[in-house]
Amino acid sequence: MRDHFTTRNALELPPADRPFTRADLIFYGIDHSGPSFEALVFMDVRGVGKGADAEHKAYVGSFHIFGHGGCFGDVGHCDVKPKEDPFDLRPAHQLEPRLRIVTVTEPLRELLGRGIEAAKITVIGRSVGKAPNDVLAFDTVRLATYA
Amino acid sequence: MSGASPPAAATLAPRALRHRRSARRLTVGQRTAFREAITAAQALSDDRGYQRWAGVHGLPLPIECVHGGELFLPWHRAYLYFFEKSLQDRVPGVTLPWWDWTNHAEGIPGPYAKSRAEGKKNPLFDSPIQPAARTGSRLTRTVREPGAPERLPSAQEVERVLANRDFMTFQTEVEDLHDGVHGWVGGSMGEIARSAYDPVFWAHHCMIDRLWYLWQLRHPAVGVPASLLNRALAPFPMTVRDTLDITQLGYDYAASTAAVKGPNA
Repeated sequence: MRDHFTTRNALELPPADRPFTRADLIFYGIDHSGPSFEALVFMDVRGVGKGADAEHKAYVGSFHIFGHGGCFGDVGHCDVKPKEDPFDLRPAHQLEPRLRIVTVTEPLRELLGRGIEAAKITVIGRSVGKAPNDVLAFDTVRLATYA
Repeated sequence: MSGASPPAAATLAPRALRHRRSARRLTVGQRTAFREAITAAQALSDDRGYQRWAGVHGLPLPIECVHGGELFLPWHRAYLYFFEKSLQDRVPGVTLPWWDWTNHAEGIPGPYAKSRAEGKKNPLFDSPIQPAARTGSRLTRTVREPGAPERLPSAQEVERVLANRDFMTFQTEVEDLHDGVHGWVGGSMGEIARSAYDPVFWAHHCMIDRLWYLWQLRHPAVGVPASLLNRALAPFPMTVRDTLDITQLGYDYAASTAAVKGPNA
């Protein structure tokens, strides 16, 4: 878990001449076992500080996670195991990772208008109340555009 | 039973839809009746009571609520339905109010905001938390740490979410608004485990349910994916299909209502 993350690689942006009506940043595999938090998302920014907020020029949106706030069971209670038995009809584990969508249509148009072809993504996690901010964990972020 | 007298009209099940109203627009009588229902539910320590229903969502284990998945909206619609029915057992005719958090004039809605109301303790301000739900916490009652009202979702954000033409995308995005409001209220509402003990939880989820209803009205040709329709909504004896038409569940979301008697009244 961390409170601040920038992708190692830049995300390739679509060609500027390919029209789209909507663009989404889709975050996969988000951990929600800890406190609730808001994740502020920035595109194409270098050296964004941990204190950056929605007023920052590279801010493109945010997503929210309603967190479990910890494990309330015995050892192993909150371990998410891969489902391998096709006949296991029980509901998914409560802590199956989440997906969130941040719509970035206008920010993407603005980046393409500046001739930018690839952008790193920075995410800053802010937890609720007095909980620590090291809440951020996700697997992948994908940029999808729709005609 | 032939020859038996029909039951008095007052004891018949209601045939008309009940209207869920904005928490800000409740009449004095509606507000009082709702507070009486919550107070009566809090006084019950068995499986009809408030603590039982709050516990279904979170602690004590198992945590039954569904978040982040395909069933977020249907599961919570079923949850509100059964909780509302339990309140109507206490005070006939009461319905759950909804909290329009896009109105930033106030944060926590008025009826829920003050510790005292109508000369006594306000049961909508906070709630006890049963001992079995205090794992990892010393709190015996719910608390809130609300943010600034302007940080609540705006009407424009809601409009953008309602414009989605695909159910799964709509559901994911409305859940994001939902998560943000839980975080905005903070305190007990900021934890899945204890959020449903806070009485404002129900008003918040009523708003989410209302947004689904508004989305259904706006996109009548788009439905829940067929693969979900027969999914069960444990622990409730309902499937997703059972939740799709709120009029079949006996309620509606009315901006305003008025009625006059007809010729057969």
